[in-house]
Amino acid sequence: MILASGFFEDLFRGILQGTPPGAVYALIALGFVLTYKTSGVFNLAFGAQAYISAAMYFKVHSVWGWPKWAALLVSVFVLAPLVGLVLERAIFRHLRTASAVSKLVVTIGLSVALPEIFNWAARFSAVAGRQITGIVPDGAGVYYDPFGVYRFNRDELAMMAVALAGTLLLAALFRFTMMGLSMRAVVESPRMTELSGINANRVSAFAWALSSTFAGMAGVLIAPRFNSLSSGDYFTLVIIAVAAAATGLLVSLPRALLGGLGLGWFIAVFNTFLPGLADDHTWLRPFQENLTPSLPFVVLFAILVLWRAVGRQREASDPLAGVDPPPPALAALERHPRLTLFTRLFGVFFVTVVGLVVWFRADVLWMSLVTKAVIIALIYLSVTVITGMGGQISLCQGTFAAIGGFTVFQMADRFNMSVLAAALIGAALAAAVGALLSLPVLRLGGVWLAIATLAFAFFFDAVMVKFSWVGGGSTALLTGTQVPRPLIGPIDFASDRAFLVLAVVALVVVSVVVIQLREGTIGRTLAALRGSEVAAASIGISAARARIVAFAVSAAIAGLGGALLAMHQQNVNYALNFAPIVALFWLVVVVALGSRTVEGAIQAGAAFALFEPLILQGELLGWIVRGEERLPEFFPLSGNWRLILFGLMAMQFARHPEGLVEHGKRRSATRINGWLEAREARA
Amino acid sequence: MTRVLEASGMSVAFAGIRALDNVSVSVAAAERVGLIGPNGAGKTTLFNCLLGILRPDAGRVLLNGVDVGGWPAHRRARAGMGRTFQRVELFADTTVREHLLIAERVRNGTGAFWKDLIGRGRPTTDEVAVCDEVLELLGIAELADKPVESLSLGQSRLVEVGRALMTGPQVLLLDEPSSGLDRDETQVLADTLRAVQDTRGYAVLLVEHDVSLVADFTERTYVLDSGALIAEGSTADVLADPAVRRAYLGSFEVT
Ligand SMILES: Nc1ncnc2c1ncn2[C@@H]1O[C@H](COP(=O)(O)OP(=O)(O)O)[C@@H](O)[C@H]1O
Ligand SMILES: [Mg+2]
Repeated sequence: MILASGFFEDLFRGILQGTPPGAVYALIALGFVLTYKTSGVFNLAFGAQAYISAAMYFKVHSVWGWPKWAALLVSVFVLAPLVGLVLERAIFRHLRTASAVSKLVVTIGLSVALPEIFNWAARFSAVAGRQITGIVPDGAGVYYDPFGVYRFNRDELAMMAVALAGTLLLAALFRFTMMGLSMRAVVESPRMTELSGINANRVSAFAWALSSTFAGMAGVLIAPRFNSLSSGDYFTLVIIAVAAAATGLLVSLPRALLGGLGLGWFIAVFNTFLPGLADDHTWLRPFQENLTPSLPFVVLFAILVLWRAVGRQREASDPLAGVDPPPPALAALERHPRLTLFTRLFGVFFVTVVGLVVWFRADVLWMSLVTKAVIIALIYLSVTVITGMGGQISLCQGTFAAIGGFTVFQMADRFNMSVLAAALIGAALAAAVGALLSLPVLRLGGVWLAIATLAFAFFFDAVMVKFSWVGGGSTALLTGTQVPRPLIGPIDFASDRAFLVLAVVALVVVSVVVIQLREGTIGRTLAALRGSEVAAASIGISAARARIVAFAVSAAIAGLGGALLAMHQQNVNYALNFAPIVALFWLVVVVALGSRTVEGAIQAGAAFALFEPLILQGELLGWIVRGEERLPEFFPLSGNWRLILFGLMAMQFARHPEGLVEHGKRRSATRINGWLEAREARA
Repeated sequence: MTRVLEASGMSVAFAGIRALDNVSVSVAAAERVGLIGPNGAGKTTLFNCLLGILRPDAGRVLLNGVDVGGWPAHRRARAGMGRTFQRVELFADTTVREHLLIAERVRNGTGAFWKDLIGRGRPTTDEVAVCDEVLELLGIAELADKPVESLSLGQSRLVEVGRALMTGPQVLLLDEPSSGLDRDETQVLADTLRAVQDTRGYAVLLVEHDVSLVADFTERTYVLDSGALIAEGSTADVLADPAVRRAYLGSFEVT
């Protein structure tokens, strides 16, 4: 077929080119919506599930040398449904009554932990350059060109064929089988399901197995398009699925399907036209280079922010809200005054001892680790503000911290400004960005808010960091994003000890501020909003204003912390410290340990910074058994254990949403209270 | 008599179902008005529209003669509307007194971010005194420091009333305050409401299932059925109306 050359031909080519990946996006979006509607889980670990199948496929086919069909069978039709079943049985079935946001946190944990668990169990390591071959022989080689504008290779044809088959299968299942009918009932009206006697557990188990198969299939199909097998790419895949699913407001399977296809087309067409435009208009060039990889995030963010229906869809925060009773309120805790006194004294004692040991005994390495822990704890206080006080999940705290870090770098690099002054500017800048970001996203609330902040974090990561006025551009490539240590009069904080003192002072100041805010009007306003938004409105509280303040304060704290961390390491180290995935980590660690209290943040900071050297490297045990040579052989443990434990921590969180520390405190307080009261009764 | 609250032509449809159909109600200053009707009649929906939690498809709401149709809920609350909820809406992890304190702080508007920062954001002794006075009035002073999770339903409803009172309302919307309470608790609640209304003198719009409470407490009553007003007038007349009794299908007896 001959088309008029030029615009329409380009457009047509873009659409053809976008169809194969679009088909895979559609497949994964279908699976995503399926689990969401049947179990209320907004499954960010979906990409991890896809990764597992792709990695297994590679292992079985390329390492063991099995034929492709066998590898496909094992990875997609055995392992993938198994993973789905296990997740459903072991975790999500018990979380039915948990809030949508706590389920989200669990899946964030899993998205990090699952690939690590697989890599460890299958002795698989994702080395760059290990490209998967497609599921058909000679996939990248044989071309087929039906319209004379775009040549499909066999892999691409396979993608389209399998996605089509999967969709038809799902349609047939829904139409002709009992399980399909039950599932459709659940998808269409979760509220009615329980009433009509459908076994929701079985439906949800089946849906998890099925959707996991979809994820696995998509994972294997898409793999040849990636340069190497890395779980990060698969995390991006789930963002695309979320964007596609969002176009169907998470409820409509056909619209999720169209959304996936549409995204594939949009990205391909965009990539077809932008280079040409950028040739004519040079100012577009940086956008062209930066925007392309982040297109899914931009699209997702735009859908969430611009499409008003998403914000209005209250039910999206929890489709099962009508089915399950709300989780029981936490047992009210009235602490015995003597217990409070005792805990305070113990806290002071513990901090003093640790402080003395670090001050007098620590070597350079440990001094630096402790300083990092202190600064991370400071950053975590930003989570205390936005999540603990504000009740919102923000997944872009790393971005706010990066803004602080980059500001210090730029100010020092360009204007030779004092870094402490620059840190304050950075905090203010982060606060401004936080407030601006909060305007469009706050309307969303719940899970959508979290996702919008995640999209923003990825957008900043892919686009903004590349600009030389942010990430330093070529300067940074040559010399790194260097940041000097501060200097106040005669005190030079180049000394690690002096800098530790500075960090501790900053942490204390910010802690006091957070406590003041919590006890003050803003804290109590936010507490009211957390408890009941309508009741808060009924006494005259403006939700928007309070939450914008919470966002800005939280961003400012993160920005300050990021600036301090950059000074500490004398380098911004963006990818290591502040990348979006790191911020996911932060969130889970803080909420798992306790986001309500300042202690929770400090403990989480210590856990994040010190867990690896202290526990995994065996330092603590070595100290206990006196001598490294006496350590058991399996030390030092691999850093992957950190990720695996992290996943377990996320799961614990869902069962104790007040945080593990708070949960433990409550339990022991109840016990000790009882004991003290019994003693008093006797006396 | 001046009208504190005047709503006219309120209509709302949920997915095609008419929850409210051209409903008009008005409440005069210091008046006690009842609103009754079977379950699903649209009473709670009407409350949501009055306060602005829900936007009606049509209709006007005047508060002290000012059209508040475009105002968000919190602004209407500040302008003089207080309400309680049929399904109790309390702030988790917060004590009874704190519920009232935050309402008082919002009302007097003395909170400011910089005050919080320098530690001046905590409740003042004056604020505590005002709250304790209300708790005293409601007879729940001894619960002041209890977390709301430890309260009974009846006590929770009183806390909601207290919280609504702190906003200094000119009209108080009460949504089935007696539901879930036993006879004795209902009696205590009725006595308390009357005592409070006598001392404070605001208008009340009472949605209630317990017809004897309505007969006892209100001067005038509206009857809503399937989203439409089917009767209005003095409470005694309305309750004697055969059409009203038919709507309820004998679900209550008034003699
Ligand atoms: N958010 C909503 N979405 C859909 N339907 C609703 C919603 N709220 C109320 N309804 C419906 O509107 C009607 C009136 O409900 P409601 O005002 O709660 O009645 P009442 O308070 O008189 O018992 C009912 O049929 C109810 O099912
Ligand atoms: Mg009602």
